[in-house]
Amino acid sequence: MPLDYPVHERTLPNGLRVVVSPDLSVPNVTVNIWVGVGSRHESVGRTGFAHLFEHLMFQGSRQVASGEHFEALMAQGGRLNATTWFDRTNYFETIPKGALELALWLEADRHGHLLDAVNQANLDNQRDVVKEEKRQRYDNQPYGNALIDVYAAVFPPGHPYHHSTIGSMEDLDAASVEDVHEFFRRHYAPDNTVLTLCGDVTPDDGFALVERYFGSIVPRPEPRREAVDALPPLTRPVRVERRESVPNDRLHIAFRLPVDETEEFSAASLALDALGGLASSRLVRRLVRKEQTALGAHATSWGFVDGVSLGFIVVDVDSDADADDVEAAVLEELETFALEGPTDAEMDAALAQAERGWLSMLASQEERADALSHYALLHGDPTMVNTHLDRLRAVTPEQVQAAAATWLRPESRAVIAYRTDHESEEVA
Amino acid sequence: MSAAAVPRPDVAPPGPWAFPLPDESVTENGIRVLSYAVPGQYVISVRLVVPLSLSDEPQDREGVASMTARLLDEGTARHSSDEFAELMERSGMVLGASVTDGALSVDLDVPQRFLPTALDLLRQAVAEPVFPEAEVRRILRSRLAEIEQERASAPHRAAREVTANLWAPTERASRPTAGTPASIGALTREDVVAFHRAHVGPQGATLVVAGDLADVDVAAVVAEGLGAWANPEHVVATPARPPVAAGGATRIVLVDRPGSVQSELSLAAPGPDRSVSTGWDPYPVLSFIVGGSPSARVDAVLREDKGYTYGIRASFRPRARGGSFVTAGSVRADATVDALRLLVEILDHAREGFSDKEIRAGVDYVVQTAPGRYATADAVADEASALSIEGLPLDFQTATLRRMRDVDNARLTTAYNDVVTGEWVIVVVGDAAVVREGIEGLGLGPVTVVPN
Repeated sequence: MPLDYPVHERTLPNGLRVVVSPDLSVPNVTVNIWVGVGSRHESVGRTGFAHLFEHLMFQGSRQVASGEHFEALMAQGGRLNATTWFDRTNYFETIPKGALELALWLEADRHGHLLDAVNQANLDNQRDVVKEEKRQRYDNQPYGNALIDVYAAVFPPGHPYHHSTIGSMEDLDAASVEDVHEFFRRHYAPDNTVLTLCGDVTPDDGFALVERYFGSIVPRPEPRREAVDALPPLTRPVRVERRESVPNDRLHIAFRLPVDETEEFSAASLALDALGGLASSRLVRRLVRKEQTALGAHATSWGFVDGVSLGFIVVDVDSDADADDVEAAVLEELETFALEGPTDAEMDAALAQAERGWLSMLASQEERADALSHYALLHGDPTMVNTHLDRLRAVTPEQVQAAAATWLRPESRAVIAYRTDHESEEVA
Repeated sequence: MSAAAVPRPDVAPPGPWAFPLPDESVTENGIRVLSYAVPGQYVISVRLVVPLSLSDEPQDREGVASMTARLLDEGTARHSSDEFAELMERSGMVLGASVTDGALSVDLDVPQRFLPTALDLLRQAVAEPVFPEAEVRRILRSRLAEIEQERASAPHRAAREVTANLWAPTERASRPTAGTPASIGALTREDVVAFHRAHVGPQGATLVVAGDLADVDVAAVVAEGLGAWANPEHVVATPARPPVAAGGATRIVLVDRPGSVQSELSLAAPGPDRSVSTGWDPYPVLSFIVGGSPSARVDAVLREDKGYTYGIRASFRPRARGGSFVTAGSVRADATVDALRLLVEILDHAREGFSDKEIRAGVDYVVQTAPGRYATADAVADEASALSIEGLPLDFQTATLRRMRDVDNARLTTAYNDVVTGEWVIVVVGDAAVVREGIEGLGLGPVTVVPN
């Protein structure tokens, strides 16, 4: 049965898509903006730029001083931030309803008139901040660069998902004020943006307020590129070995998956849940509880829109076990699953956990707004938040098996193996 | 060209708000039940709080409380660990158990229609765990691996060194809650069985149920699920007390990690808990002003001006009893010395007071974010569970936020100076060869280098 969160949608004359979802339970409104640009749109030599640009959106615009966006909204009880991902960039704040107009005014100023304020000094400062973000989250973390290796191994050079959103230090260094201007003109336009209001606001008031603050932003329609061609599964295994000072061996076993919001992607994600995404999944039962060769096993699927998605299994190898043996056991389970498909218990567990996860996510007004923007921008229909679970429940065990047999084959894997360098230390 | 800009709008003040109050009852076996109706929240959040003191752990078996918590769902009288995991997951349920200085807590979230099943499984976990030998060995091994993972992570490594230096060495709080390699290595199944028997029971426990409870008879469902839980051997927990501080002047511990591209900095001092006699209301405001946003005093300089860091946060961290004030974050390796100098300067300078603009922004931020911060069932349940562990009244949030509206510079400055005396425990996790000399040159206090 579909969920019944209310969803109202309108497109302004300048092309801005507006979604309003009233929820009177709390006297707050969430403003959630998705712009159709992410790291998948970056060019060679400019990786990390979409994210660096996102930082600059907080450094002032035509009528707003550097840092004022954060300061002004937090001082009114606003909670806000922004994130960049492969497929999009988003900006969001949750404010008391009395501050909704201020939030829209601030957002409209930077989404319409950022370039009036961009200068070399704030580009240099935020470049330094982003480099520290990269060091903190990737370079100074054990296994911190593993996912960057995963993207590069699974997707070919030049592919939109071959590089990470954080980019490289060299490319960050190369970014210029002129790049900022060009990027803004190319991607930040009403027809490439979705604005969602979720909370204590009526649809009529919401549409009128967005029109008032965003209506004057001039349309700048550009041909937006279509999704790139679909990628088939890898035909031969890819392998990257890293020997580093990490506490234990860790395997990342990654696969290409079908495009997000297709039946086949749902089926592949349920297959990964049954294999490694649950406490009762096969790899956890066998490697963690029974054979005790792994400290933990997890599986994740990330839906993307550009012709392919990503799935991966992460196994922390017990120090008494051999990583190659553990990998062989994982491959054996993949083979078996592709032959037999999921059990009833696995289907039940995967669907029940997906249900709780989805309902918990929508329980928060902030995350509900984010989901509405997501479906509006990337899939053209925000009401899909209400039918997501129904689509998942419609997947049959046979489809799950078929997806595993196509996408989760041992020969279609890319393995990023982190090995401890304890041994080399001991003999040195 | 765009049309004429719309003028900057005014902000309408928000209406009054109060943290929800629960329906309260007591089960026949002594569990206090707090049920919070949060309409529209279809996943129910359940929090079981069993008062417990870490000082009740045998001294050479520290960590046994945490290991007991982790083993509750790893094999019960009726189900193996595998079976139990499957039963929980088929009911859409997720369960986690953990230990703090005041309690053992079991948290579970479940879609409303599975609530009766979830409470039945919760009872089996707390009342009937059998601690199979193989699972005990596995959980202990996994704790040893976790200790290595924590050692490899700069923020965790720093936190361990902070607690070891902030509290007197005789204090349980100076050592890791979940145990050390030595204490975990000494643990046996019998220790876990004995700890569970003596310390996990319904007497004095609190059960929080929050979510959309329309059509749910909470009292009946709880009686059905947990009514049969009994433990005649349950010993009343020693009440929590604030740990004794190590005391002494500022000193620096430098954890040597050759080749680090960043240094993790932590500056700590003992601080209040939420039942502090002078009132908790100034402290969240102080956290915000000093280190709670990109424009707070710390990041205005270290991030937005200098670009040394992705962000450094300062916050008051209450325990059940006692607490700490910690400023922590990571900075570029070659900026370590200047960043540390600036941090000490900013934190010490704040003892002189705060501007009206800062105070207004801080108060409005904390007070006006409250409705949103407590909008979901899990957030309400978490706070209700914390109130129970800390022995605070159910209207604590409402009363604190009301008083907070009136805090002025004098109260904030007094509250800050009650904690910040200029004597810091400073921990730096970074490359000693690069930063040691510079840190010594700051003259803040003695520098001790320890291996990672």
